[in-house]
Amino acid sequence: MCGIAGIGLAQGTGVEVKTLSRMAAAIRHRGPDGYGFYADQRVGLAHVRLSIVDVAGGAQPLTNETGNVVVTFNGEVYNHLELRRQLEARGHVFKTRCDTEVLVHGYEEWGPQLLSRLNGQFAFAIYDAAAQTIFLARDRFGVRPLFYAVRDEALYFASEVKALFASGEVDATPDPVALDEVFTFWAPRAPRSGFAGVAALEPGTYAMWRDGSLRVHRYYELGFCDHDLEPADAIERLDALMRSGVELRMRADVPVGAYLSGGLDSSITATLAAAASPHQLRSFSITFDDPRFDESQFQRDVAAVVGSSHSVASMGATTIADSFPDVIWHTEIPIVRTAPAPMFHLARLTKACGIKVVLTGEGADELFLGYDLFKEVSVRRFCLRRPESSVRRKLFGRLYPYLDAPGATGGEFWQRYFLDAGDCADPVFSHLPRFALTSWIKGFYSPDFAASLDQTDVISELRDSLPERYHSWSPLNKAAYLEMTLLLASYLLSSQGDRMAMAHGVEGRFPFLDHRLFEFSAALPTSSRLRGLKEKEILRRWAKHILQGETVARRKQPYRAPDAASFFGRGTPSYVLDLLSEDSIRRSGLWSHKAVTGLVRRCASGRAATFRENQALVGILSTQLWMHRFVESAASNATLDPKHADVLLQDAAPSLP
Amino acid sequence: MTSLRPSPAPPLVEPDIRARLRAFVEENFLYMRPDFVLRDEDRLLERGVIDSMGVVEMITFIEDEFGVKTADDEISEANLGTLAAIAAFVSNKRNSANA
Repeated sequence: MCGIAGIGLAQGTGVEVKTLSRMAAAIRHRGPDGYGFYADQRVGLAHVRLSIVDVAGGAQPLTNETGNVVVTFNGEVYNHLELRRQLEARGHVFKTRCDTEVLVHGYEEWGPQLLSRLNGQFAFAIYDAAAQTIFLARDRFGVRPLFYAVRDEALYFASEVKALFASGEVDATPDPVALDEVFTFWAPRAPRSGFAGVAALEPGTYAMWRDGSLRVHRYYELGFCDHDLEPADAIERLDALMRSGVELRMRADVPVGAYLSGGLDSSITATLAAAASPHQLRSFSITFDDPRFDESQFQRDVAAVVGSSHSVASMGATTIADSFPDVIWHTEIPIVRTAPAPMFHLARLTKACGIKVVLTGEGADELFLGYDLFKEVSVRRFCLRRPESSVRRKLFGRLYPYLDAPGATGGEFWQRYFLDAGDCADPVFSHLPRFALTSWIKGFYSPDFAASLDQTDVISELRDSLPERYHSWSPLNKAAYLEMTLLLASYLLSSQGDRMAMAHGVEGRFPFLDHRLFEFSAALPTSSRLRGLKEKEILRRWAKHILQGETVARRKQPYRAPDAASFFGRGTPSYVLDLLSEDSIRRSGLWSHKAVTGLVRRCASGRAATFRENQALVGILSTQLWMHRFVESAASNATLDPKHADVLLQDAAPSLP
Repeated sequence: MTSLRPSPAPPLVEPDIRARLRAFVEENFLYMRPDFVLRDEDRLLERGVIDSMGVVEMITFIEDEFGVKTADDEISEANLGTLAAIAAFVSNKRNSANA
């Protein structure tokens, strides 16, 4: 796992290594083990390396046999051994054992069709010097990030936006619509990033840069089939896919560890990883002082069964608040939950224990309908068919049993909240309650900011953007599609995933996000995934064979962290009060200072108990931090000395600094 | 010698209850919407003034402020759906407790 950056110039005026070195320095945390550069008159590539495969020989940028195809690569190609054999059979000569090299030879052989052959998580750029093109690609589900900006016919791209700013050619200007999406969907929808004129390459797409223009193409579509019958061999196929998915992701020249939440999904990945590991597995968990969020007993139980050497990152009363500014520096976008912060600490612990690759359970809830949101969809539809039925409405009381608010989750108000949320005919019916809950933050917008969004309706834009095939899917498959495109790629794998892990040079690997497993699950009847109100039914049925009964039967416990209480519990850090002061609020211009003052008063007195107030506090505070770190501060000017680079390929480029 | 006895507090009437409820709602649920016009008969949930978690806060307030306990089966739109409904509910509960 690594970080990449690069520049493409329409005119051959020469790319400066100095500029590339500033871009690389901005994302050095992604690749602390080495770095390298390529520069010629039209194109520059930079790479910071986290060495995992072919530790001695895998430095980048890396070229083909003749040096006219150059790659800078962030990620893993898990089936590189199989692809290498195919390419060698076609006459390609490899000079390393590294998975990176299949990209240059594969691109020579198959062009963009290479992508459909890759099983992996990746973001990379390939420069074809003969064709004078830059090929940018991102994996199917968006595990690895890639951002780009076009300025004056020049292309700038990087794993993180901060590297674009470090180029000196891209400004950090907030995109109001992207912020409005954060306060509706929890994250901007790609290609929007948080910044105007900076785009995120969408998962499952590639882009081709030629003669100063960039064209984006989709190579992978999320698709679902609404079959009625489960195939007779479904369990056998699931078993084979799960084992293959884990075994492929254990391929590394360094020890692979595992994150353990104590739930079903990470217990499965840790169990299979322990069986496939040549070493005793290292496992890592988050624990909370606050027992409402803590799952340490379950984690210890699973670690004992798996036989792993287990370590925990403990979240004390001030841990989240103390690290929150660093967390936002890495998310590069405001967030409405503090949940990424403990993941930041978990990665730090993992790295300190000498582990830089971990398997995690993300993706299972999307593939096998694990979230309460999917049950909510079923219950809402069931009740709306006979809204007068008080018996049916009682089912709402079975949703979200982990919420610590007696009296709030069973009564008529709770029922009305769901029943009034929207019409079954709405294409985004499944997510309307969440959108409404999150959108409450917009009540804090300043009049000017609200006016700037007067013509914006991000939910309508979402409806209009849905692919034609979406409308033929079942309600649960529609919900799964929205969950994968709105939340998984843009928030869970990004703010809570890649960014927190790579802040400390730790690579997450996701066996449930093997595209073969997704395609298998998407063709199952929804009743195999959510039977009645029993989530992940087929996964549990299969997991009985490899896990102990208690873990298999345990109801899903969502990963959560304390929100407002993190900042107003035991002492409030001065930065919180500074950033939420009237002066700071007026300076950012986004919020009504009177409203924020009211919210701070409620939080400080411990009365901000509702979800929406907690989300508002985290959303506003993280936006203020984001404005302060990215918009109001100058971009970093730090550089990586090219003289110490592992790779320095130059072709008539300007002289070194 | 005449004994001095404190004069009894005037009984709470529905308009007083309503005024205190309004102040509570404005301070705790409408602080970010100073221009919001809330009528006594407006449905609090429908107009986005409180959510189901906010109802719990309201129930706690009613208990602390007026000494009125709310049973689970009394948590309904009929009793807690509008300022007017809550005031009538509190008033009735207090009256029946004093009867």
